[in-house]
Amino acid sequence: MPTLEHSTVTEEDCLVFRFPQIEEDAVFSIDFQRTLRIPDSDKTYSLPPGLGSFPLRHVEDHPQKLPLPTTARGGVILPMWQSEAMWLNFSNNGPENWGLDFPVAIKVAAGKINAVTGESWRTGLHRDPQDYLVAPEQPWLDGFAVEKGVIRQFVAMPLGDGYSVEEQLTGDAEWGGLQISVFPLRAKVWKAKRCEWDEQQKRRDAATPIDDGAEYMEFSHKKKALPMGLAAGGRMRQVIHPDPFNIEDWDIAAAERVFITLLHAKDWKAITGEAAPNEPPTAKEYSEAGLPWFEYYGKDQAALPGGARFGGVKSVANLFEKMTGATLPNSQDVETGNPVRLGPSPNAPRPVRSEGSWDY
Amino acid sequence: MENDPAFSLRQVATRCGVTPAYLSRVERGEVAPPGEETLIKLAHELGEDPDVMLAQAGKISADLRSAILARPQLFAELIRAIKTMPDNAVLRIVRDVHDGNW
Repeated sequence: MPTLEHSTVTEEDCLVFRFPQIEEDAVFSIDFQRTLRIPDSDKTYSLPPGLGSFPLRHVEDHPQKLPLPTTARGGVILPMWQSEAMWLNFSNNGPENWGLDFPVAIKVAAGKINAVTGESWRTGLHRDPQDYLVAPEQPWLDGFAVEKGVIRQFVAMPLGDGYSVEEQLTGDAEWGGLQISVFPLRAKVWKAKRCEWDEQQKRRDAATPIDDGAEYMEFSHKKKALPMGLAAGGRMRQVIHPDPFNIEDWDIAAAERVFITLLHAKDWKAITGEAAPNEPPTAKEYSEAGLPWFEYYGKDQAALPGGARFGGVKSVANLFEKMTGATLPNSQDVETGNPVRLGPSPNAPRPVRSEGSWDY
Repeated sequence: MENDPAFSLRQVATRCGVTPAYLSRVERGEVAPPGEETLIKLAHELGEDPDVMLAQAGKISADLRSAILARPQLFAELIRAIKTMPDNAVLRIVRDVHDGNW
């Protein structure tokens, strides 16, 4: 079962998945980053930064204050303001002091609509089209994969108002939230990968003279009441990488899953007794402060094509204008300058600015 | 970090609200460690775990203290039961996220 953990160093809540039956110390974690909502226009944006993680709490701690369907689903709750955006930050770690990260396949759905293909939620993993991500190749996910190399940002809207991708594709406002399944490699495939890595490492060690300065290798120890659904926001450049493994390499039986219920942030205090995070800055405020945007260049820029079903999905700004006749606030394009280049290592962190520090 | 002027003793002391002379004496073990608030600031400044920093000064954080004092019997039993377990076994008692029907 995944665990909900809080780092006292980074002050971040995250979901942690361990597969000790396959590798004792292998860890995969996901934190949910607050971010700017990029303008919802024809322009395709670079990556915005993270603004710190959303808090996560156990559903079962608040049975009296949550609707029955939410408590029946289990999992965790997370507060979002209307029109607020998020991205999912993935971290893989191998055994202590290893340079090899434990790979996992991740299936992500919003309102039980697969974020990679646009298809309805199915158990297991599928190809043609590939309906999952592979980390560490995929270091993060910011939205629905609408085209090759382009996502539409995850933006929270009240479930039932007609904006969510779930409502647009199914006609129902039943699930909302996010659903995530994580699949480890089969033990024998992982063992073979470890052996291959060991051999390569021995060859590298033999070829590298030892110096007294000893190269310092830094290991990443990264370490409700009103339900919200995720709608399709602005366009962002982001590649969804194809699976470098064979589909039989994944251990489907060992999968672990979690339901993340999104609650309107205005209800967070009444339910949990804790203050909700402040509303994030707008893209305009961020841009006017001259702060950087980012571009990620992975080792391999091969990309999945994007979900065909997303072709019929309307963005939040588009629907807002249709429903109200007005323009969605903060949807004017902004200048982003030259983005800061990230990568190619999948573990190259994407900058996160904690609250109060985004304006330096 | 060692050679970064932003992390000089003077700079760190100023950001933690203590005098460089005092921090220097703490470093040399000449005076008792500062209070919890300063130690936590120091930990954040230096990228260290605040609980580890407090433990090195022989302290535990106020939130842990109040959690134990609120349920002394429960936590005393728990800590005694797990105190000799290896780290990986202790990690296993981190609370699972409950999965329901969906």
